[in-house]
Amino acid sequence: MSVKTDHQSKTKGDVMKKILGNMSLACTIFLAATTGAAWAQQAKELHVMTAGGEYGDSLDKCINEQLLKDAGIKVISETPGGYAKIAAQAKSGVIVNTVTDGSTGDMYRLAAEGLLEPIDWAKLNPEPMFDEAKNPNGFGASYYSTIMAWRSDAKAPQNFVDFFDTEKFPGKRALPDYPEFVLAFAAMGDGMTPEEVSKGVDLDRAFKTLERVKKDTIWWQSGAQPAQLLKDNEAQYAIAWSGRVLGQDGVTATYNQGMLDISWWVVAKGISDEQREMLYAWLRAQTNAEKQKCLVSFLPYPGASPELEKIVTPEMQKTFPTSAENKKVQWLSNGQWWFDNAKEVEKRWNEFKLLQ
Amino acid sequence: MLGRAAGDISPRRRRVRWDLVLLLAPLALLTGIFFDVPLLNTALWSVSDPATGALTGAHFQEFAQSAAYTRIIWRTLVMALEVTLLTALLGYPLAYWTSRLRPRLQAVVLAFIVMTFWVSILVRTYAWIVILGNGGLVNRTLQALGLTTRPVEFLYNELGILIGMTNVLLPFLVLPLYAAMVRIDRRLLQVAQTLGAGPTRIFWQIFFPLTLPTLAASAIFVFILSLGFYITPAVLGGGRVPLVANMMDLLVNRFARWEMAAVVSVVLMAVTLSLYSVYQWLRERGA
Repeated sequence: MSVKTDHQSKTKGDVMKKILGNMSLACTIFLAATTGAAWAQQAKELHVMTAGGEYGDSLDKCINEQLLKDAGIKVISETPGGYAKIAAQAKSGVIVNTVTDGSTGDMYRLAAEGLLEPIDWAKLNPEPMFDEAKNPNGFGASYYSTIMAWRSDAKAPQNFVDFFDTEKFPGKRALPDYPEFVLAFAAMGDGMTPEEVSKGVDLDRAFKTLERVKKDTIWWQSGAQPAQLLKDNEAQYAIAWSGRVLGQDGVTATYNQGMLDISWWVVAKGISDEQREMLYAWLRAQTNAEKQKCLVSFLPYPGASPELEKIVTPEMQKTFPTSAENKKVQWLSNGQWWFDNAKEVEKRWNEFKLLQ
Repeated sequence: MLGRAAGDISPRRRRVRWDLVLLLAPLALLTGIFFDVPLLNTALWSVSDPATGALTGAHFQEFAQSAAYTRIIWRTLVMALEVTLLTALLGYPLAYWTSRLRPRLQAVVLAFIVMTFWVSILVRTYAWIVILGNGGLVNRTLQALGLTTRPVEFLYNELGILIGMTNVLLPFLVLPLYAAMVRIDRRLLQVAQTLGAGPTRIFWQIFFPLTLPTLAASAIFVFILSLGFYITPAVLGGGRVPLVANMMDLLVNRFARWEMAAVVSVVLMAVTLSLYSVYQWLRERGA
């Protein structure tokens, strides 16, 4: 390795080489030591995928910190999760993340493709929770709704026909860049009723509305965007997830004709027994009513504990999509229909989005 | 190539410099393992069946038959061309002006241009919302001056992307052009002047042709870079003007269709590599 032509600075070069040699040796030892430590720690790490943002923060504060103290389990979150990442894990056969959050549609799709491990409810042994949140393929983490919101200084729409009427209600629309969160509303914009769309969506009518309003649309991908777009006056009307637009200054939102859904934790097929044990401990902690109270102090997405509404203030309870008053003006998304029509929806959505 | 690195060795006595080979081996190994192998793997995906692994041309067939893929690649190419033209139109005068300033002022202007490299692309993209948004600086000024009654829509359309991308790419054109311009032998221009040529003629007949190879090479460089933009179209396009990178994100992260994403990558890579070879050819000719 020595540079033979360099006679003049030979001694100096030798000293340098020695120093460099020692440094690299030190580096190697340091690296070996730290990676060794990392390996040793890995045994008690639980890897999960979450939507992140404020939701991730709430999990860290209310669930993960306590779990580390009580059970010595360190939860490591990756964001965002979703269908494609679970599918990629299954295809490669390397299961890094044990669980992801997803909509009802995601759950049906993953289950049908055989990518999910059914939940062993007897083994999980949760504290009391609503039956509808105990799905064979998923753990119902929280209730959320997709609703309409608008700038408080804009003309208030009464329903989704108004919402998509860009002549009587001029302004930009911030719409979800996700077919399962926008198509049903678009069909309602063409006159379908909530009862009808909760059975199934007429795609022709949905895309007819979207074709009509696409010139006035800004598509959002991240849940925090719609509130920001409204506040910045970039958009005047928005379809958004309830927790992100309720109680924001200058923004009015209503549960009227909103789409109620459950956010699920779905478990990747092929996780080890050890991973499952940690995961179930993490999920069990989330069924505790006090912990759910802590979670809703970040975002108003209530968990599935029947005890929860008894221990929060009445004001807070009123903001929940599950409160009696709010629940009756909303409708439930039909996961089965979305699953049966997934291919058709994907094809038409792609054509609409990519060819616009 | 390694032999040539030591400039003092004559061709007759060329021998392999093992010390240099050893020094470069880790880098070559790193590039090979972490860059070339995954790249080849992507190419392999584009022609294999995801379920069985058997070789198939079905993905390329789907690519060619679907209107969406070709249309988006086409739109990306047109967009890249527009960005390149705009960058050249703005960048050439800027480089020319800079090269004519007093040396100290040149340093100041160059510092301003280079400084944009130090600001994150995400921050710069969002900054455009503050400036060009409905409630942004420009629209408020226009309305205060009574020039417009409704906000002008700069953002969430192709114009927004064009502005954002040109802003990011401008230094990539200005810096090489500036370097080429200051290298030009001023005496050539003086000779033309003594022979009676006017300033316009000197510029178009002497100066401009001398900078043309660099201009062409930098323009191709800008074009190649603009093919892969993701953040700018995502933020300033409002999800309405998807380009190739956004389509790949959709294919990989939403639909888990890696094989189609691989096909798009291979097509994009073929386009980029052919352009790159033109760029190299122009650069060598210019140098």
